[in-house]
Amino acid sequence: MKSASTLSSAFLQPAGQTLPASLLALRFDRASALADLVLPSRKTENWKYSAKHLKLTDDMASTLPLDASVETATDMSGYTIVLVNGVVRPQASSYPTLEGLSVQRFRDLSEDDATLAADLMKKSISDQPAKAGSVNLSLLNGARFEDGLLIQLQPGTVVDQPLFVIHHTTANHSGSAYPCILVAAGNNSQLTLVEDYVSSGDSPVMVNTTTEFSLGDGANVTSVRLNTEGQTVQHMGTTGVRQQRSSRFESHSVGFGGTLRRHDLHVRLEGEGSECKLNGVVVTQGTQHYDNHTTIEHVAANCNSEETYRNIAADKSHAVFNGRIHIHQDAQKSNANMSNKNLLLTNGAEIDTKPELEIYADDVLCAHGATIGQLDKESIFYLVSRGLSRRDANVLLTMAFINELVDQIPIEQVRDAAHIGLNQFFDQAFQEG
Amino acid sequence: MLSIKNLHACVEDKQILNGLNLEIKAGEVHAIMGPNGSGKSTLSQVLAGNEAFDVTKGEVTFNGDNLLDLPTEERAREGLFLAFQYPVEIPGVSNLQFLRTSVNAMRKHHGIEDMNAAEFMKLAKAISKQVDLDPAFLKRGVNEGFSGGEKKRNEVMQALLLQPKLAILDETDSGLDIDALKVVADGVNALRASDRAILMITHYQRLLDHIVPDYVHVLSTGKIIKSGGPELALELEAKGYGWLGIEDQAAANHG
Repeated sequence: MKSASTLSSAFLQPAGQTLPASLLALRFDRASALADLVLPSRKTENWKYSAKHLKLTDDMASTLPLDASVETATDMSGYTIVLVNGVVRPQASSYPTLEGLSVQRFRDLSEDDATLAADLMKKSISDQPAKAGSVNLSLLNGARFEDGLLIQLQPGTVVDQPLFVIHHTTANHSGSAYPCILVAAGNNSQLTLVEDYVSSGDSPVMVNTTTEFSLGDGANVTSVRLNTEGQTVQHMGTTGVRQQRSSRFESHSVGFGGTLRRHDLHVRLEGEGSECKLNGVVVTQGTQHYDNHTTIEHVAANCNSEETYRNIAADKSHAVFNGRIHIHQDAQKSNANMSNKNLLLTNGAEIDTKPELEIYADDVLCAHGATIGQLDKESIFYLVSRGLSRRDANVLLTMAFINELVDQIPIEQVRDAAHIGLNQFFDQAFQEG
Repeated sequence: MLSIKNLHACVEDKQILNGLNLEIKAGEVHAIMGPNGSGKSTLSQVLAGNEAFDVTKGEVTFNGDNLLDLPTEERAREGLFLAFQYPVEIPGVSNLQFLRTSVNAMRKHHGIEDMNAAEFMKLAKAISKQVDLDPAFLKRGVNEGFSGGEKKRNEVMQALLLQPKLAILDETDSGLDIDALKVVADGVNALRASDRAILMITHYQRLLDHIVPDYVHVLSTGKIIKSGGPELALELEAKGYGWLGIEDQAAANHG
């Protein structure tokens, strides 16, 4: 057995060339670093529970082609952009036409905009390893993306309806996809971005994503992330958020398990008075695995962060939550709240939760709590005493555990989509008899 | 309707009920009174089927069936209803969802089709008005953030909705101001019917001013030690429990 393994040379082959020069240059830099990338092992702190699920075989190295025939079903109406295997499919998309909002695919960018996109990626925090000794696989995205979206909001632009981005991966044969979304929200602009990750086919594939948000003063951005990809998808997603003065960022994520699901969310509160609210729901069953790692950095003073994650694990599945709050020395009057509650539906399921606090300022309010439990017996008794079956009582209580978060998703279509998936999950997790 | 013979029950090895006997017929209203710690709530929990309590001896039949053999949900579907002394709060499950699932579980048991959403809403709204609950409560979580009085009214609301054969009211009067007590009593009186029985469990006599029982029983150390008509409650009110040679066990334990 090797003590430290690196990527197979198959992953080091050059990616396609159809991009503006500055993005090609950036990608070339990233690709040069790829050969030195040490893959995580179980000794890697931030991959402790997930490394064993990571299986990057050579046949996954080839980037999946844009499949023009794929039907991407979507119930989402409004502004919708479809990416198939990380490449924008304009025929399936309806671009917004709103003054002050520009949504462009990387391949169509002018050299000026491409420079801006490359700058955003260079400054991206999703790209930095969170801590020494940890491994960040978003380098793969930076080295291998073939297309992407640059979303720009001019100052004061209020986008009147949600912008849906459907990320469809075709797992008809092995390969990988590298979707990349960059959002530059000008001062006092407002946007709700919904990213819906779906797949078809059942070959082993890797989806490695980058989403980067840059919020100007007073900007207000809501990010919704729904993951209903198939079992065979190894998903590694990274979201980075930088926030300037008095900006507000809200994130709602709903994830269903698969062979490997990993999402790293890193928020930097860089401007005074900025705030973020991060909600996350994960359900896993069978032998699925889901790992959420979050980092909130309070860099400036007077910022608020509120984080609530809930996991439900059934069968022999495994869910992981690692929440880090880092309060820098100058971030006085920081207010940080983190809560993680977990529900184990069976004895064979596993949930690992770890809050990490690093506080270097002295005048802060920081609270965190993590619980792992089972359904409340008194509540079950109350429900069955009204004639409900044990199964219905279990389902209602389990749904209640996460509905509090699902109900906060500000878009009805997404709530409905989440409920459809959750109902299926409950049907399987609580089979009658 | 309900026949309890020589019932013994314990919780965590502590014996609470010690040979309790009680017969209740359709159309009757019974009140069980007794000091704290006498076993009143244990009786209601055992009848509803709370698994935290172990029945060690005795038998209970409900409309001819062996009640103790039935799981809680079957007892409910057969028409046994318990208004809880401390109804639990269940955030995330709306009252509407809960109540409709309950009504339809009962209907299914009796081979009746599900009640549709509109029909149910109409019924639920009408009954919530009857117990002076703002119908907006239907959208809130079950008992979530309810005051003590609202919780009790919600229990009576459920009894009115489910129309049980036997309604057991466990200290439904506690924590109510006089106006709320009147509302609750009106609700319970509306339940009185020739084919229904009501068992009220209470520490105080005041509820019995509003809901006049046919029979009053005094429970002490897990047994009924005296039974009589409504005048017995008045006597207890005037003299306390001392004249029956018993003392308030909870008070004694604390003292």
